[in-house]
Amino acid sequence: MQALGRVYTGFLYLMAGIAGAMLLWLMVSVIVSVTMRNLGLQPFAWLFTSAEYALLYMTMLGAPWLVREKGHVHIELVTAALPGPLRRVVSRGVAALCVLVCLVLAWKGADLVATNLARNDYDVRAYYFPRWMLTISFPVCFGLMAVEFSRFVFGDDLMHSGEAGIHE
Amino acid sequence: MEWYEALALLLGSIIGLMAIGMPVALAFLAANIVGAWVFMGGERGISALLNNGLGSLTSFALVPIPLFLLMGEIFFHTGLGARMFNAIDRLMGKLPGRLSYVTVLGGTGFSTLSGSSMGSTALLGSLMVPEMSARGYKKHMSIGPILGTGGLAIIIPPSALAVLLATLARIDVGALLIAGIIPGLILASFYIATIWVQTRIDPTAAPAYEVEHMPLGQKLLLLARDVIPMLSVMVIIVAMMVGGIVTPSEAAAFGALGVLILAVVFRCLTWEAIKKSVVGAMRVTLMAYLIVFGSATFSQLLAFSGASRGLINWATGFELAPIAMLCVMFAVLLLLGMFMEQISMMLLTVPIFFPLAQTLGFDLIWFGLIMLLALEISFTTPPFGLLLFVMKGVAPPETTMRDIYVSAFPFMGCSLLLVVLLVMYPQLALWLPGL
Amino acid sequence: QETLTAVHAFPETLIYTQSFFEFVEKVNAAGEGVVQIEVRGGPEAIGMFQQPDAVRDGIVDMVYTPGSFYAGALPEKDAMVTSNLTAVETRANGGTEMIDQIHQEKMGVKYLGWFDSGVCYNLWTRNAPEFDADGNLEVEGLKLRGNAVYNAFFTNYLGAQVIDLPTTEVYSALERGVVDATGWTQIGLIDLKWNEFLNYRIEPCFFSTDLGVIVNLDRWNGLSDEARTILQDVAIQHEKDSVEALRTKRDEDFAALEEGGMQVVELEGEARANYLEAARSTTWERMKGLMAEHPMGDGLYDELIAKFYDLSAE
Ligand code: NA
Ligand code: NA
Repeated sequence: MQALGRVYTGFLYLMAGIAGAMLLWLMVSVIVSVTMRNLGLQPFAWLFTSAEYALLYMTMLGAPWLVREKGHVHIELVTAALPGPLRRVVSRGVAALCVLVCLVLAWKGADLVATNLARNDYDVRAYYFPRWMLTISFPVCFGLMAVEFSRFVFGDDLMHSGEAGIHE
Repeated sequence: MEWYEALALLLGSIIGLMAIGMPVALAFLAANIVGAWVFMGGERGISALLNNGLGSLTSFALVPIPLFLLMGEIFFHTGLGARMFNAIDRLMGKLPGRLSYVTVLGGTGFSTLSGSSMGSTALLGSLMVPEMSARGYKKHMSIGPILGTGGLAIIIPPSALAVLLATLARIDVGALLIAGIIPGLILASFYIATIWVQTRIDPTAAPAYEVEHMPLGQKLLLLARDVIPMLSVMVIIVAMMVGGIVTPSEAAAFGALGVLILAVVFRCLTWEAIKKSVVGAMRVTLMAYLIVFGSATFSQLLAFSGASRGLINWATGFELAPIAMLCVMFAVLLLLGMFMEQISMMLLTVPIFFPLAQTLGFDLIWFGLIMLLALEISFTTPPFGLLLFVMKGVAPPETTMRDIYVSAFPFMGCSLLLVVLLVMYPQLALWLPGL
Repeated sequence: QETLTAVHAFPETLIYTQSFFEFVEKVNAAGEGVVQIEVRGGPEAIGMFQQPDAVRDGIVDMVYTPGSFYAGALPEKDAMVTSNLTAVETRANGGTEMIDQIHQEKMGVKYLGWFDSGVCYNLWTRNAPEFDADGNLEVEGLKLRGNAVYNAFFTNYLGAQVIDLPTTEVYSALERGVVDATGWTQIGLIDLKWNEFLNYRIEPCFFSTDLGVIVNLDRWNGLSDEARTILQDVAIQHEKDSVEALRTKRDEDFAALEEGGMQVVELEGEARANYLEAARSTTWERMKGLMAEHPMGDGLYDELIAKFYDLSAE
């Protein structure tokens, strides 16, 4: 069980690491493409397209890590006004609602991947890129996010601090 | 379902979910699942939601934000920022609130030329807010001006949003751009006046410590060593944009590169600094982009369900005097602006508002500028003002949303005052394009 | 009475959207008590590139969109892109019927009609175009704005330095000199105000617009015979009407542009033939390759181009 937990955590951070690499790739791809263009060369079209796709992969692969870091902003209005015990219940309830949303999206995301494969869908930009290679990020992202949010449902740590304002 | 029922369902669910403390991005996703289920025919609506999110996120227009954030973070974590602001502090003497003025002047120059309010908020926010907080500025003295200048980007040319508005409304692009110059400068001067008033009312808002006297030679040395190199990174990327070497969307990458090179030159680039910068830029970007992913469909549901169209038709259906009609249209824009993103709003309102403005006898260039001001204000109106969340991401951890709203209000007031001035003196907008 | 929901790919003020509204009005007049179309909005209601999937999935019943927006599902749309015919001729020779069958089979949608056809694309440049000794266009150093529709032609044949930009960014890119040439349809340059920067139009024009109405197939089959007949008849009539309306509009636009100083430069003789040949053959090649990857195969390829391209018309 513990070994499984370590593998899972490793995977979560691996995804976050890839997200960070995507951010650096944005910079590199733009610089290379502009430099080529200004030297009178034909910039590779995949530089541009890969930057657009990098935005998706970055957001989807990094989002579960950000849940663990409590980095998704929320507003503490109701939770700040409630007494301690009730606040804990509400906080766990909100986290449970997040788990539900993520599970629905993970399930429909997997569905979408299956549809894309069945229909042989392509994303058409400079190239014809198999759509499932983009949509596969949905079940991964929302599946991991569901796990991360469930830690705030069942774990010791709460998502809400109870201090008024907005938190990340 | 009637339009007001659809509107109540959609706005009610998003406001309710955000109020009980659901993360903003998840609140949008949850509201969208409900909305997609009701208006898009159940389960299959949720696939549409995911497809929409994919489409909105994989857009090159979003590339500059993480890169401007990266640029600001590198500035901060390598200590280059501290170096520059120390120098500016010492050069400017004891003027209270000097860094706030620097923010307005620099921000006006930069956001104006970059034309991207999200990008310039990201850059200025990550650059200025941590430094100014460290120097004892109260939060509103850094956050307010930055949110204000972010909005200026779309009024003063060049401005992609103004071009799009003019194209949709079939008015002269050049005239609308030029019409924004004088009002934009007036707005910037309002901002400066606001800061001056704020430092007068509350002298503790900005640190007013004594600065020791420095001989001119030392000042010049400081300027040449600690200010000009940093400033030149900005100047170079602006020059690259103006010179047509890069598009505004591409400029941010060179900004980040420029700061990296500077850090190497000043021998302050460490692996630790790079890692912290990437993580810092990532935190804000991921948070903001999951909101973009979630909110993409929300604007569309408002349109697809007929809720926003119903509201517009209802509000403009009254027979009112032209000036009252202008107020109604402005109010509709502000209301929609709380929940919708700017381009969807333009697509929805332009085909109704511009013909109406014409029958009311308004000058269309002047009306276009008023509309841009409404769009500008909507960038910073709660609950859905993406700039507010970007700012939250870059501000020090103890900053609350309330701090950010309170900081934004005086600067939104400036924009409203400008609208009043434009109504009273249309020539402020129309004189330049008429030449 | 049946009501079909509809969305359109482009903003409401664009001429092509106006043409779709005319079609809707005609249907609603002819279909009173039988079938009505309810327009739910444009790209603000469903994203432009998500609309084809939305009609496939039955979220909306009808979409007015360029075929190029669903090129990934239906590469055969390139037959319309490269066409030198109008919908009137392809309706008569069975080409439209064939495209409809492919739509039904591959996407589960009914191809109701090809509107606003007969409008082609030109290359527009800021500076006077230059030609080599054989009269071919010199693209060396031309900063050309491209997109997925014509990149096969621009890059593979012309060898141009293509810069991909969304339509909304082209104005400021022209203004700053990031690009100095672009392809665009014969109509619409004035609406986008690009004529402030572009001074030359290069003839001949190539390609064609590929805007059409697609309807969810289950919804279509579920309609009464009467409703289907009304929709199909009105669509066929609008195919014809829109060709004529847009021809008039094109002539007006050209006259206005020329009055504003737009100069027309023509490729001649063999250079002209090579230019047109390259535009269609690079794109056909792409189409054939993609068709072959699909289980349906590329068996219809020859027949399809025969129906959409009249070689004798050059
Ligand atoms: Na600007
Ligand atoms: Na807003």
